[in-house]
Amino acid sequence: MAAVLPVGTRKGLFLLRGGDGAWDVEGPMLPGWSVFHAVLDPRDEALYAATNNPFYGATVHRSDDLGKTWERAEELALPEEGDLKLNATWHVEPGQGSELWLGGDPGVLFRSDDRGMTWEVNRGLLDDPTRERWQPGAGGMCTHSVQLVDGAMYVGISAAGTFRSEDGGDTWAPLNRSVAAEFMPDPYPEVGQCVHKLLAHPKRPERLWQQNHCGVYRSDDRGENWERLDGNGLPTSFGFPLALDPDDPDVAYVIPEQSQEHHYSAEGRLGVYKTTDAGSSWQLASNGLPERAWVAVLREGLAFDQDAIYFGTQNGSVWTAPRGAGRWTEAVRDLPPILSVEAAAA
Amino acid sequence: MAVVLLPAVLAAEAGGQKRFDVAAETVGEALRQLPVRNLLFDETGQLRRLINVYVDGIDARGGRLLDEPLSPSAEVRVVGAVAGG
Repeated sequence: MAAVLPVGTRKGLFLLRGGDGAWDVEGPMLPGWSVFHAVLDPRDEALYAATNNPFYGATVHRSDDLGKTWERAEELALPEEGDLKLNATWHVEPGQGSELWLGGDPGVLFRSDDRGMTWEVNRGLLDDPTRERWQPGAGGMCTHSVQLVDGAMYVGISAAGTFRSEDGGDTWAPLNRSVAAEFMPDPYPEVGQCVHKLLAHPKRPERLWQQNHCGVYRSDDRGENWERLDGNGLPTSFGFPLALDPDDPDVAYVIPEQSQEHHYSAEGRLGVYKTTDAGSSWQLASNGLPERAWVAVLREGLAFDQDAIYFGTQNGSVWTAPRGAGRWTEAVRDLPPILSVEAAAA
Repeated sequence: MAVVLLPAVLAAEAGGQKRFDVAAETVGEALRQLPVRNLLFDETGQLRRLINVYVDGIDARGGRLLDEPLSPSAEVRVVGAVAGG
């Protein structure tokens, strides 16, 4: 099946179009901007990019013609009276109705109702009473995961943890019970966990998965309790990306890294690991991937759709496999360092 | 009218326009008239840390920066800071 992959890189955005082994590359778009994440909104095919520049700050761009022309957010900032400044934009998530959500650094969430032109900060998360116990991870204090399922909203913040809101974002509850924060004096605090990626299963919304700084976890009760899953076939507990199967809630994929000190693929190979039993066991699913490799796949670098699974590496390759990850092929190589991959139907 | 010159990334964000003629008495007043002002200033109104501004070739950070007075014939050049190799 044909697909469009918005691929965010350190040097702009690329659109990959194709499938069945042949891919066309368009780009770079938004040259000069690091695209931390880009997504095609299924409601109207608007293309949104969370864009960052070391000189000119953090913003969001929108294109209504698949990248030919762009508009930039007019109002996107934290309140002037506060002590915090917007350091980065990390993730755009289409919501219900006119909602568009944006996660950013420092541990903040914004909502837009005008297709990304003006953004209002979520005061519930900004004023969360546990915020003083949050701290930045190596990539900053980023709200990188935003999940909207079954009337609830979940965010993953590094290093604050997982939070859920059931009142549209007015209030948030921490959901970090039994999730380790081994770098803290208390290894099981209420908040401060370093979640690296959080996903809810689209067809079983009470089931959440997270790749954490300290392990891989699954929750079957909307994040109230978590089970650690990384001792059963994964080479390490550390990694960033996470993908699910759109239909089978027992299937998940991770790409472990060597350690928190060594951010490259574990055991010197590009290893995608797959579980088909909800994390009780993991198997290497790397047919076609290089067996000697020291590369990194970032937290937004792994995506899936109904037909396939995709990931992009820090050394600029995009790999694809049919759903199930039976055989990988390199779709594109030699892009700039890849920060994000998303998938949409062509 | 003073002239403000933008680097490539900012010019792209300004619809491709690199040169702006502005009537302004200070550097700050000139920069705040630009369509890319929210890329130049943070939410507290401070010029972003890695942006340098030259007025007739002289670094305004060495002077009064945003309060630096502009003559009608002044040329203001916005430049991203250079660091590293």
